[in-house]
This record gives sequence, C-alpha cells and structure tokens, in this order.
Amino acid sequence: MNFGYTPEQEALRREVNAFIAEHVTPEVLHDKEAQDDQMHGSGVADPFGPNMRELYGKLQARGWLGIAYPKEYGGQGGDRISQYIVEEAFMRVGLNISLSGSGAPAIMAAGTEEQKRYYIPRLISREITFALGFTEPHAGADLANIRCRATRDGDHFVINGQKIYTTSGHLSSHIYLMARTDPSLPKREGLSIFIFPMDTPGITVRPLWSIQNNPRAPLGTTYGEARTNETFFDNVRVHESTLLGGENKGWKVAADGLNLDRVGAFRYVMSIRRDEDMVNWVKTTELEGYADNPAIRDKVAELWIEAQVCRLMTMRSMSIVQRGRDFTYEGSAEKVWAPEHGVRTTEAITQMLGPYGQLLRGSPHAVEEGVFAHNVLGAFQSGVNHGGVTIMRDQVARRGLGLPAMRRPKAAAN
Amino acid sequence: MDVLLTDEQEMIRETARSFLEGECSPQLVRAMEADPLGYPPELWRKAAELGWQGLSLPEAYGGSGMPLVYLGLVLQEVGRAVAPLPLHSTAVAALTIAEAGSKAQCEAILPGVVSGDTILTWAFTEDDPRLRPEAVTMSAVQDGDGYVLSGRKMFVDDFAAADKCLVVCRTAPARGGSGGLSLLIVDTKAEGISHNPLITTAKDKQSEVVFDRVRVPAADLIGRAGEAWPVVERMLDRAAALLCAQMLGAARKDAEMAFDYAKMREAFGQPIGAFQSIQHMCSDMVIWIDGGELLTYEALWRMDEGLPHGVEVSQAKAFCNEKCLASARNAQIIHGGIGFMMELDLHLWYRRIAAWGMRLGTTYEHRARVAAALIDYPGEVVLGQPVPVAGALPEPERRVA
Repeated sequence: MNFGYTPEQEALRREVNAFIAEHVTPEVLHDKEAQDDQMHGSGVADPFGPNMRELYGKLQARGWLGIAYPKEYGGQGGDRISQYIVEEAFMRVGLNISLSGSGAPAIMAAGTEEQKRYYIPRLISREITFALGFTEPHAGADLANIRCRATRDGDHFVINGQKIYTTSGHLSSHIYLMARTDPSLPKREGLSIFIFPMDTPGITVRPLWSIQNNPRAPLGTTYGEARTNETFFDNVRVHESTLLGGENKGWKVAADGLNLDRVGAFRYVMSIRRDEDMVNWVKTTELEGYADNPAIRDKVAELWIEAQVCRLMTMRSMSIVQRGRDFTYEGSAEKVWAPEHGVRTTEAITQMLGPYGQLLRGSPHAVEEGVFAHNVLGAFQSGVNHGGVTIMRDQVARRGLGLPAMRRPKAAAN
Repeated sequence: MDVLLTDEQEMIRETARSFLEGECSPQLVRAMEADPLGYPPELWRKAAELGWQGLSLPEAYGGSGMPLVYLGLVLQEVGRAVAPLPLHSTAVAALTIAEAGSKAQCEAILPGVVSGDTILTWAFTEDDPRLRPEAVTMSAVQDGDGYVLSGRKMFVDDFAAADKCLVVCRTAPARGGSGGLSLLIVDTKAEGISHNPLITTAKDKQSEVVFDRVRVPAADLIGRAGEAWPVVERMLDRAAALLCAQMLGAARKDAEMAFDYAKMREAFGQPIGAFQSIQHMCSDMVIWIDGGELLTYEALWRMDEGLPHGVEVSQAKAFCNEKCLASARNAQIIHGGIGFMMELDLHLWYRRIAAWGMRLGTTYEHRARVAAALIDYPGEVVLGQPVPVAGALPEPERRVA
C-alpha cells in the first residue's frame, strides 16, 4: 500500500507543468477551441490545427504520448502512473492527450499483432481516432439488444443498420462498431466488434444536437459533447481482418474495453475540476460572507471529501491495471461515484451563485466564463454516457456482489 | 502509487479474520455486553500471543514495530467481528506513550501492553463533546512532587478493564487555545477515582470517571507540563483514523450479511436480491465502504510516512460517520422486519456503527476542519496536492482577510 509518488514521478509532474506553462500557448488553445467548434459543427478536413499538431510533435519528441504502451507499438514502455501524471496535467488545462476513450486499451487487450502494430502508434499520434458505434435507437442501455447486422460473405462481412450517439463520428477517421454476427446465438454471444475506416462506402453520418450546443462551453468544462450523431450503415463491406477479438466475441471485448477506457485522468479530472473551482471561487469572491457561511463551508468540505474518493478510486483502478489484474466491479463503482459527485458539486455551486449560475459563456456578467452554467447542462451526461450509472450499479451488484438475475416469468401453460 | 494491499498485508488481514471467526462468535459478543468488564481475558491473551497489542509498538519494548496501517487492518477485523476487546483504547494510549513518553515510562508500561498483561485507556472529553483544547477544563494542581487531579471525564473506553489511563488535563489556567494542557498517566485504581458505567447504544464499556483530588506523581507526566496539545492532537487523530478502520470492518461485514440475505430471502417469486431496488442499494453500500476504506488507508499511510495527516483523518472520519451508518441503515431496510428483532445478530453491528460515528469527531466537526484548511489560507487548491495547512480541529487563525 503506497499512496505516494516516487521522486522521479514528482519530478516528471514539475517538468510537465513547466512544459505546459511554456508550450500550451493561446495559439494552441485556439486550435483546441477550433477543434471543439468543429466537433460542435460540421467538421473540416483538418480538425487538428497547425499549433496543436506542433504541440503533439513536441510531446512525441519528449516521449510523453502513450507512455505505458510498449515500444514496439509506438509507446514508451513506461509505467502507467507516469502516463497518468502527464495526462492529468494536460487535462487540467483542457487538453485530453490521453488514450482514454480512444479504443487503444481494447485493441491492446484483444487485438491481433497486426492490429496492434497498425493502430496503436496511430492512435497515440491521433492520426487515427475512433467513433464508438455501440448503441442503437431502440436499444439504449440494453446493449445486447442491438440489431445492426454483419453478415458473412466469404472473407468479408456486409454491415447494415443504424447506430446512435456516435459522438465525433463526423470527425473520426475510424469507427469501433458492435454488430450482430450470429442472430441464432443467445443475445450476448452473437455479437462482434469491427474496426474500420469511416470513409468505407455506405456510411452516412447525421448530426444530433445536445442541449449543450450553444454557446460553446469553455475548455474542458463539458461532460458530454455538444454535437453527437446517428450513423447509418448501408451494405458496408469490410474484410474479416477488421474483426477485433474474433467473431462472436464482441460482448467481452466491449465490456473489458469499456472498463479499461474509463481508467485514467480524463474522467477523473472531469469529475473533480468543479470542486477546485468552487473552493477557489469561495475563497476569492469579493462577495461578503461566503467564505464564512457555515452552510457553505460544510457543503464545500463534504464535496471535497467526495472528490477525494473520486481521486482514490481512480488510483485504485490504476493500481489494478498496473498489477495486471482484472476488474470485477471497481471500474463500475468509479463510474457511479465520480459522475454523480460531479453533478452534486455542480448543483451546489449553482446554489451558491444563485441567478448568476444561469449565465452561459458569452453572456454579460457570466461567472468564470459560464463554466458552472454549462455544467448544469452537461454534468449529468457523464452519468448517462459510456455505461450509465444505473447499468453500472447493476454491474456492481451482479459482478461485484454476486446478486442474482431476475427469474423470467414462466410461459403460460397451454 | 499502489493503493491495494500487499501480499503481507493481505496475510495479516486473513490471519486476523480467521482467528476471530473461530474465537469470537455473536454469542460471545452478546455475553460481553452484559459483562461488567466487557471483554473475555482468554481472548485478550490469545490476541497478545498473535502480537496484536504490540503490533505497531517499538521493537525495543517487545513490539513488532509495524506501520500503523497494519494495526488498522487488525482493527478492521476486530470491527468486522465486533469483537469485545479493549484493543482500540489500549493501542491509542500505548502509541502515545511510545511517541511522547520517557524511556522510563515506555519501559515501565509498554512490555506489559505487548504481553497482554496491561490494558490502557485514555480520557479527553468532558462536558463539551467537541474535540478541541478549550473543551478540557480538568485541573491538575502542582503539589510537592506531583499533581492533584480533580474533575470529570466522559466517554472513557474500557475504564473498568484498564490498568492505566492517559488523562488530558490543565496544569495551568486555560490560556486560550491549546496552551496549558498536560498529559498524565494515571493509575485507574488510584485513591479518589470513581467511575460510572454509561449505558450506550453499542452496549460497550464507556464510563464517566470522576477524579476527586487524585494524587499523581510528577514522574507520570508525559513530556513537558502545559505543552501536551500537539501530542494530544496526534493521539486524537490516530484514535479517529483507527476507529474509522474498526467502523469500516463492521460496516463491511454488516453489508455482507445484507447481501447474503438478499440472495437467500424470497418474495414475489424472486430472491429479493434480484430486484434492482435492492441491487442498487447494495451497490451503493459497497461503493461507500470502499470509499471510506481508501480515505482511511490514505490517512494511516500518511501517519506512517510522517506526512501531515490532519485533513486526511478528518476526511475519513466525516465520510465514514455518514456512509457507514447509511450502509448499515440500508442493511436494516433490506432485512425488513426481522432486522429489527433482538434475536437476529444484525443489530450487534448496526448499534456499534451508529455509536462509533458519534465518537471522536462528528461529521460537522471534521468537515469544519477540512473547510478551514481549504478556505482560510491563501492560494489555490488542487485536488491531490497538499492543502495549504492541515489545521487543528479548532478554527485556525484566519489568514484571509
């Protein structure tokens, strides 16, 4: 048991922070905002931007991208904690350089040697990005109930169907798609994951607009995305080599991948940034009496303690990954606690701000560029996406505690 | 950074668990609730054979010199079994003697603690239940080669069983704040001491102890007269963190009883554990207990590392107070009517979890300490980095205008 960092890791943190102060310039942040604009708009050919590209070059040169990935796949062969330290520092200035949500952990876990050699270096450099094609309009959280079909045709599959909430699908180079490959098998056993380019013929992406779309939130403040998509597959032909983890193995590949995808700085920093903002606002506001108000002080401390639990649960997940162990319920537990905590903090601070809590970015008199108002529109989204908190609680209860599944009612006798 | 238990730590825990599963039945717990001493000497002796009393005491006095985290793991198991042992009170006092006592005091007392022959306790609280120096009014007047102690202490653990009691008192008039406090080692059988057992929800052994002109030799003063507050504060912090461990052990076992019941009990044609309303209660319980455990281990680990730990202790205790009780309440709800019945053992856990949450700092007190550290000192806070200052339980001096 060790809750500390090594002197080398502490030195790395200082080095990264110094680098950020020097190299994460207003121009880089401008590129990031432009990137967000594209995310929220129609998309352009180069979503990266020249300054961001240059920053990535510097990060690559310093060996700060994909630290914990093996060298043969373009990583640095380093430790997971060091990777976390770098990712956390960048998340704090609104830049997600991590591979959380990238599909890389799932490919490392389930991919063929060829897939790992092709995808991992390109995911690290952002040459390839995935949109996640999981759920469908009728399925929602009941992922095993999807209908999108991949029908075998020799050494190819032909995909037909519709996906929803394919966030960044209009910008991503590739899609990470779950489809049904064998309808004769029980629901979870007939599913497969495919990874292939978005420019494969037969794919159509249409925008869906979330309540967060306008005006744009400041960097690093949104939990969901302003624009998401629905994506249609019309006789999309892909080679069988695009299967990830084998035919009809998709359920486990997806479940393990989702767990691994959640681990790290990205979701953690999302869930606790507002705690820091709240404390720092309370202690610097010129409004009289806030810092002395016992009700506010008690609430601030309560939320801060909850945020520490977010941090420690992240550390626990990292420890599990670092030891090469499997999750039973710990990833799901974190995915219940952290998003719900983020909501509680957001709601508390808007109660401290009162009517100013409504003001979005761009409004006269917006507080802190309207971050809290934007969070009101989006904080709960983190409790819905990527496995909602109700499903996560099911998983804690079933996988973690071994509670039973509901008995099906007997078919009526006739 | 690896917040999971090491193999050695797992082993300590497993050993303690299987020992108590064999030796400490709910029947024994019930019997000890009615016993005036409140602990079975045989079990206490066996615990000493396992080295529990001396686990984190220095090797020079026969202890094992293990980090506090290890003692926390053992106390977690004591809590799990709700074992009626005066281990928490003895350990808290013994660790304070080991930290701040003279060599002669350590030599006189600690070997007896390690062997299981000596039981210790400590006394801080009086009329004012808050854990702050101003709450101590009991006076120790210097008289020749000693002190004369008069006053009343409340909520003293295991006093009837204890041989010695560390008493926090004032050897000088309260100069405001933390000045003037002293720590005396008092023989529990000394003339002028009387005690009244309190009747508590946990049915544990807490006493009101009255000191009527009790003479204490000057040699039994720990450290320097009037300067005990830093030592006392660390004692209170250790006591709170170790109580968190004990509470979490109890809450984990209590929750597991509810999970097992939910798998077995059928209603509406299902095991009730198949209903999501029950499943989601259960998943919250395990999330809360895990969270409390992580906070507590971090606080204990920081103590072992010699790092500031006041805020971390308060984080753990504030969280455990609320969440362990919430979990135990859920366990009662899941059990339905039978959970309210004396014949079911569940209440042995519920009553203690509820009681321990009221002791060694309430949720509000501990949150006030966290808030003070966060708000009252200049500089931005960053989660995961040290806060500007780990203040004492009393309001620290405000440095922000």
